[in-house]
Amino acid sequence: MKESRYFAVVYMFGLTAICSTLLIGLARLTDAKIKSNAQIAFERAALAVFPAVQVQSDAEVHAVFMKDFVAPKAAGEAYEYRPGGQLAGYALPFEGQGFWAAIRGVIGIGTDFRTITGIWFYEQAETPGLGARIVEPFFYEQFAGKQFADGSRPIRIRPPAEATQKDIQAITGATQTCTRLEKLLNEAVTQWRQKREATAQP
Amino acid sequence: MNGQTATKTTNQIILDGLWHDNPIFRQILGICSTLAVTNNVINTAVMCISLSLVTALSAATVSAMKDWTPKTVRMMVQVLIIAFYVIIVDILLRAYWPDMSRSLGPYVGLIITNCIVMGRCEAFAQSNRPWPSFLDGLFNGLGYSVILLVIAAIREVMGMGTLAGYPLPYFSTQWDKWVIMVMPPGAFFVLACLLWVCRSIGVKEKKA
Repeated sequence: MKESRYFAVVYMFGLTAICSTLLIGLARLTDAKIKSNAQIAFERAALAVFPAVQVQSDAEVHAVFMKDFVAPKAAGEAYEYRPGGQLAGYALPFEGQGFWAAIRGVIGIGTDFRTITGIWFYEQAETPGLGARIVEPFFYEQFAGKQFADGSRPIRIRPPAEATQKDIQAITGATQTCTRLEKLLNEAVTQWRQKREATAQP
Repeated sequence: MNGQTATKTTNQIILDGLWHDNPIFRQILGICSTLAVTNNVINTAVMCISLSLVTALSAATVSAMKDWTPKTVRMMVQVLIIAFYVIIVDILLRAYWPDMSRSLGPYVGLIITNCIVMGRCEAFAQSNRPWPSFLDGLFNGLGYSVILLVIAAIREVMGMGTLAGYPLPYFSTQWDKWVIMVMPPGAFFVLACLLWVCRSIGVKEKKA
């Protein structure tokens, strides 16, 4: 019977059904946890772009986020940061293709719509030691305090030799990552600006 | 691998997996992941643990089911079982260690296509009992792990000046970091040198 052609087919179908059932069960069980991990990673990023906020545990992050942040009405717009009801800035989520995979993060913008309060990358898979250094303080701390320029290139990431006080210094050896990062940041900021101007002057 | 698998003792299985039939420098299997995940010791360690567990459990399962599995579909069954365990590992990492899951990216899923896993299922588990198969899978996984960790340590220290994320005294300050070490080509150089060393030792052992 074991070598019969029908038995082989039935055996394969049966085994596949059993394995799939078990995996679907496991995926269902952990689905909520996986979704909340992604949500916490985002919320942590939104808090990290405002230097005044200090929180540690996941539960604290979620509590502060729910209390102080107001979600945007449409995609491409920023979260409003209102600690104690007073508007203190905007948290703009951005995402786009890096060198190897997607880069996702949040950029914090002050109430003057120009000053960057901070930036945080919560998902990236750039080259370790090169592009992946965007998550190191020496790089991301440069953003805080910088002003958006006018035009289509509000943020400029330039090679250290050419960068002025207004620019972000790129990472040597990570040209691809820096070029793409600049592009995706500027797309997000430009889109946010246009939407904000459209709603401000109806 | 030598056709005398049925009579292998536990010690032989362990030694073969770790040294005599080491998957990396003897069988040259699993090279793709060797090149991809060895630029950082922590990532490599998690990858190695995942691979060892998957290889051991898949081999044991394949062995336990070999008496009922029709010969015509045995490879499909092996791939199915391997994929089953890999997806479990992937889901668990995503749920309980999201940072690691993000930094390993697609490589966890790619354990399915790692030649070592299917190689052990087909070469050993298909003709041995579950417990020896489990050991064989585990120690082949560990043999792979040892080499990968050595490569990762060399690459991380020379390329970034850190070991498992901690800055080392000389390498993080005075050492001129070799950027190529953290890029994929760096793995080729380190792997080739390591193959050379390990095989030279193997040749001497045979002569003695």
